[in-house]
Formats: sequence, structure tokens, C-alpha cells
Amino acid sequence: MSAQIIIDALPRMLGGMVLTFQLLLLSLAAGTVIALLLLLMRISGRWWLSWPAQVYFYVFRGTPILVQIFIIYYGLPQFDWIRDSVFWPILRDPFGCAIVALSLNVGAYVSEIFRGGVLSVERGLLEAGAALGMSAPQRFVHITAPLAIRIALPAYGNEVISLLKSTALASTITLADMTGIARTIVAETFAPYQVFLSLAIVYVTLTWFIQRSIRYIENVLGRYTVR
Amino acid sequence: MDALSGWWDDYFWASVTVAQVFVCSLVFMVVFGLLGAAAKQSENALANNLANAYTVFFRGTPEILVVLLIYFGSAVTLTGIARLFDPSIRFVDIPPFWAGTIAIALVVGSYATETFRGAFNGVNPGSIEAARALGMNKVQTFFYIRIPEMWRLALPPFGNHMLSLIKDTALISIIGLNEMLFVAKQATSTTGKPFTMYIVVGLIYLAFSSVITFSVMILENIANRHTRRAP
Repeated sequence: MSAQIIIDALPRMLGGMVLTFQLLLLSLAAGTVIALLLLLMRISGRWWLSWPAQVYFYVFRGTPILVQIFIIYYGLPQFDWIRDSVFWPILRDPFGCAIVALSLNVGAYVSEIFRGGVLSVERGLLEAGAALGMSAPQRFVHITAPLAIRIALPAYGNEVISLLKSTALASTITLADMTGIARTIVAETFAPYQVFLSLAIVYVTLTWFIQRSIRYIENVLGRYTVR
Repeated sequence: MDALSGWWDDYFWASVTVAQVFVCSLVFMVVFGLLGAAAKQSENALANNLANAYTVFFRGTPEILVVLLIYFGSAVTLTGIARLFDPSIRFVDIPPFWAGTIAIALVVGSYATETFRGAFNGVNPGSIEAARALGMNKVQTFFYIRIPEMWRLALPPFGNHMLSLIKDTALISIIGLNEMLFVAKQATSTTGKPFTMYIVVGLIYLAFSSVITFSVMILENIANRHTRRAP
């Protein structure tokens, strides 16, 4: 094992971190918006809104993200109307496709996490809100949301970590994120242990960092509950 | 749909491969998970640290990286060993089937470690004391009390681990296993219908996941049959 390979490879791989973070943050933001929409559909109490949301979750939970990425990146250009549509500049680009696939996925999982949080809010509090004359939207914003966010946060953090790991799949559609660069370096040097192991340590460090940040936010949000 | 005719048998055999990977990796996953849980529970500090390192590493590393690491890592090692005996050898590798199976089992096993540990900890101490009072020995307690109580707790997360396994099988195509994504790629290059070809892969995976979800539901019913109340 020569350390020189690691010393040469590490800066190159870390150069891909910007792309990894772009993928992570953009799809997290878009995914959270999708999740909120799905959540509102699920808890609306109207079957024609809640069923599509359930089917959406079922489909995205039941298929590999890699297959979803391939369907979007290789599959969609089969249709002429997609190539003529306004979305074509996004779907032509591997980066855009990766963002679309990852956000759709995160949206499915996060909506289920949010739903768990909303359902765990005590009914008495909502009744108290109703007794105070709050409307349903007011109760959702002022009572349900603050409590549900605190309950859902740990699971949300795990989802952010899953998403970080999923961004590595973008390397399969020619994107040069950290994993993509590592694969190029291994193809040049054929030193898989040095390159892949040092990259794995980078990912583990990032995971640790995300866990720490989520715990910090949890403490800030839960500061009223400390005895 | 005309484009699909002639490809069904390829898809069929590819899904048989996926099912084989799934079953093999499921066995390894349970073994890794039980070993990890046992190591985390043990009083031996070395076993504890090893198990912690195992879960931290595999839960923080992308699955695709683990697959690449196991496949190319073992290939470099094996080629090095083979060259000691016969310098003319160019390349030796573990079959992608086994490299991929072990890789995804290691990843999901690290999650299963926590599941099994939590489930064994969740066994009611009162039940174990009752077993001792009835004169059961440790082995009997393990099989008649601990296992039936723990699998009731472990089943729901275990179902999710099985879903992760079946979905991770898709990653093995990148190290050259002849599975569904591989077939879809070949079919696309001759028919020029990528969407049709990849959507079929998605539907087959959806069918696999549905079977798993449904089986877990049945197993949960069996596991919880004693806790149901009389109507």
C-alpha cells in the first residue's frame, strides 16, 4: 500500500464534494417541498387526494433509486413530447436528472416521516385550540407543525444521511461527484483499497457531521422541554 | 409494447438472478446482523469496538462504494496472490454475483445489527425470570422465550431491511452482473426504446417489493397471534 496514491487522490476526490453537496442540498430542498404537498394530500381526508399520495409512496419505496435515475435519464428522451417540453433543459442534463430523481425519492420518504410526526400530536391540544376559536389552518400552523417538526426531526436526519449516500449513484450517469472521481482514479491507478477506503472515510465523516448538526437542532428546538 | 417481444425470457432469467442474489444476501445479512448484535451485547471490549466500527463504517458509506470496494478490492488481492504462482495471469476476480451479495449483505447487516440488538433488549425480563422459575435452562429460554418475543419486535424493521436488500441488488449491475438493468441496456441498444425497457425493470422490482411487503404482513400476523384479543 503506497500512501502516495492516497495523497494524490484525496484532493481530487474532495474537489467533487461541491457537486455532492449541490446534489444533497438541492434535492433535499425540493424533496421537502414535495413531502409537504404529499403530507397535505394524505391528511386532507379526501380519498381522491390521499390515494394518489399513497400510490406515490408505494411506487417510490418499492423501486431502486438507481432504476428511477435510469428511467428518468435514459428513458424519458424516448418521447418526442418530452424533448419539446419546457422541462427538456433539465432532463437533458445528467445533473438535472439526478436532482429530479433524488427529490422525488426523498419526497416520498420524508412525507411518511412528517405524517408520523403529525399523527403523534396529542388530540387534546388540537381540541384546546378549537376551543380557543382557532381555525383548522391556524391549528395546523401554530399547534401541529411546531410539535410535529420536533418529533419528526431524528427520522428526518436519518433521511438526510440516506440522501447523502444516494448522491453517490449520480456517478452512474456520468456525473463527477466524489464517487465518480474515485471511480476514474481507480480506473487509472487500479488501487481500489487506497482510493475507495479513503473516500469511505470522507463519507463517514460527513455522516457524523450531519448527525451532530441534527442533534444540535434537536436540542435547540427542545430547549423548553429540558427540566 | 411490441418492442418487448423477444426480451421476456431475458427479463425472466435476470429476475431469477435477482431472486438468487436476494436469497443469498438475506442469509448473510441475518448472520452479520446476529454476529454484530452478539458482539455489541458481549462484555468483551474488543468485540464491542469491532461491532461499533462495523456499524459506523457501513451505515455511513454509500452502498455503491461498498460494492465497488469489495469487488475491485478482492480482485486486486486475488490477482496479487495468483501472480505469486503464475506471473502470466492478468486478472482474477470473485464472481460479481458473490462480491455483490456479500457487499449488500454487509451494508444491510449493519442496520440489522441495531434491529436485533434492540429486539433482544426489548424482551420482557419478567418472561425470562418466569422461564427460570419453570426450570428452563439457558438454551430452552433462548428458543422458547427470547426468540418468539424478539421476532415480534424485530419483524417490522426486518421487513424494511429486506426491501433495502432487494433494491440494492440493482447496484450489482455496475460490477457486471447479468441482471435486469443489464438486460434493459442491451434491449435499449437494439430496439431504441429505453423508457419501455427501464419501466419494465421498475415494475418487476415493484412486484418483488410487493411480495416482500405482503409476506411480512402475514408473518406479523402469525407472530402476533397470541396478542390478539378475543372478539
